[in-house]
Amino acid sequence: MVKFLKVLKASATVGTVTRRYPFESSLVTSEFRGLIEIDPVKCVGCGACVRICPPKALTIEVNEKETILKYFIGRCIFCWMCVQTCPQKAIKTTNKFELSVFNLKDVMRELVFRTVTCKVCGRAFTPVKLVVEINKRVGDLYMHTDIYVCPDCRQALTARRLLTKYLGRG
Amino acid sequence: MVKQLLIKEGGETQTVKVLNRIKDLCGPHTSIEFIHDKTVKVSVKSECLRKVAEALQSEEDVYLRTMVASDEKLINDSIKLYYVFGLDREGVNVILEVKIPAALSKHYEIPSISDVVKACDWYELEAHDLMGVKFSGRFLKRLVLPDDWPEEIHPLKKDITTEEIKKLYQPQVREKALEVGAEEVALIPVGPYHPALHEPEYFELYIKEEKVVDARYVGFMVHRGIEKLGESMGYDQIPFLAERICGICGFVHSVSYTQAVEEALNIEVPEKTQYIRTIILELERIHSHLLWLGIAAHLLGYDTGFMYAWRIREKVMVLSELLTGSRKTYGINLVGGVRKDINKEKIEKTKQTLKEVWKDYKGFAEVLLNVPQVRRRLSGTGVLPGGEARAYSLVGPTARGSGLSRDVRKDYTYGAYHFVSFSIPTYSEGDNLARTLVRIDEVYESINIIEQLLDTIPSGSEIKVNSWEPQPMKLGLGNVEAPRGEVIHLVITGMYGPYRWRVRSPTYQNLQAVPTMLRGVDLADAPITIASIDPCFSCTDRAIKINIKTGKIERVPLIKLSVKGGS
Repeated sequence: MVKFLKVLKASATVGTVTRRYPFESSLVTSEFRGLIEIDPVKCVGCGACVRICPPKALTIEVNEKETILKYFIGRCIFCWMCVQTCPQKAIKTTNKFELSVFNLKDVMRELVFRTVTCKVCGRAFTPVKLVVEINKRVGDLYMHTDIYVCPDCRQALTARRLLTKYLGRG
Repeated sequence: MVKQLLIKEGGETQTVKVLNRIKDLCGPHTSIEFIHDKTVKVSVKSECLRKVAEALQSEEDVYLRTMVASDEKLINDSIKLYYVFGLDREGVNVILEVKIPAALSKHYEIPSISDVVKACDWYELEAHDLMGVKFSGRFLKRLVLPDDWPEEIHPLKKDITTEEIKKLYQPQVREKALEVGAEEVALIPVGPYHPALHEPEYFELYIKEEKVVDARYVGFMVHRGIEKLGESMGYDQIPFLAERICGICGFVHSVSYTQAVEEALNIEVPEKTQYIRTIILELERIHSHLLWLGIAAHLLGYDTGFMYAWRIREKVMVLSELLTGSRKTYGINLVGGVRKDINKEKIEKTKQTLKEVWKDYKGFAEVLLNVPQVRRRLSGTGVLPGGEARAYSLVGPTARGSGLSRDVRKDYTYGAYHFVSFSIPTYSEGDNLARTLVRIDEVYESINIIEQLLDTIPSGSEIKVNSWEPQPMKLGLGNVEAPRGEVIHLVITGMYGPYRWRVRSPTYQNLQAVPTMLRGVDLADAPITIASIDPCFSCTDRAIKINIKTGKIERVPLIKLSVKGGS
């Protein structure tokens, strides 16, 4: 009948469980996935992370002068898919979770890259760092001049070359 | 293939019996195709549909699992309806495929089966709203879309994109603000639109003296169009979206989705992946049931129980974080594998924590069930007879509290459940106490399952397949026994992401039976009865009382309403 009074015993044994955050030890375990930090030195702006990002917290913007990689923490779900995808291993993981800020701008991170303009049409199309990285990785296999040509022009260029090769005219 | 099955199985299995019956009803040329081991697709002409549905519903242990409308105009010039019936005893899915020629879709009528198969009511309304399918022989009304939605726009059709929908339908806040000369707008959702939790519920309870005589439910106030959004995302992005369908048991959705894709594309995932998924699923069940038990105690005025349950739950949450990297929305699931391994150290830590949880929980369960007010108010209230549960195709603890031993972990087994032995707690009383006891017992079973899995988990490090190739237009089903009942996802694959992705959560199936449970209960017992199916009920935390004679409207918090005699 009075079995429910056992709750008193349980309560006495356990005592207080509330922790005095933030004065006491960390609230998260070692495995906690928190904020990501993009290393501006390692990152080449290839955009692989942008493509995989499920909530579209990472976006990339290419304009005349520069390529901007934007990380909006407000959208981030801390899944670390970008970390797994990054070919440069440029994304560092942390277990930070205290993200409140006074200014909305503080939840935006931006990385700015200088852009290469296409040798043929003059359109800005890719970060300089990415071109350098590709050159480094692919080396002699690739025609060095073509790397400064945008994908659209490159297509036309290749077609013209093939025509010249097999039909003998330009 | 059917012939093969006939020869292989020898005797008359239920599947063979059902398929033969369908052939009798629809003619010998009906196309019957086994698309997977346990999934049969049957093409049914719309004029035969009612007869076939009647035949299936009259079978024992057969129920409607989900219904999907899919716009395949670009592929085969038709809109298709897939009715998925489950044969519990053999774990076989019979999919009835009904074709609507795209050119005639505006006038073509499919005979409604909602009077035969009660669970089909919402599915038909939803197909009507989102896909523009017309059903004859029933009253069609808006279910999912808001009342002021343009008549001819059906958002799930392929000819309208997410961007177009966004442009087309924006709440007219700016216009209104400009009209009245307001400088700034603060949107404060009032009433059933709960700002923080999904699935708000709005119940109208009709009351005579203290008894509820009838109830009406209005829902879908925050329909987010996740299925449409998913169709524009990649295969590996969707698990993260799926996980956010539910705020309590999200992992069931991501597992369901990945299983559906894996079935559709015949991807064999490593054994260890199955183990890890199953362990996390069971952990999720423990925390979800503890959450429910706590809130149930709270609704019954026993707040000590609420605190007690949630304290135990905290240990499980921290453990989940250790195993996955996050307390909730674990984010470790991908098509073809998981992203986080469980090593020896973690196994030990898990075992130790579970031991503590077991001990704590045992004490809690004993206390809770011996509190006189809790026991008295749970027994005999919100009764749902077994026959009704069957007729409504109910799932999960709600069905098991009414004597139906339906559990997809056993019936349509998946993951690593076939490696472990466990029992399915079933109670036949059908009242709130029965549903509570089912959940209380299930926590012990879950701890038991995890311990068995941890003992036999493969030691390798292979937790995902190396690569897999998408193929278009393959159909796959994925089901998971969520804490609230069965979750089922149907995926029709595309090249970059799913062509059609259909999610059916357990509450969708169970809510339709709540008015039945509510009839005849005391007003004070209505909150716990609504809660007893374990919807995400924080959303129903406010109710309105209208006195019909005086017309006076009084707003009372639900918790106050649940005080007996005090309303």
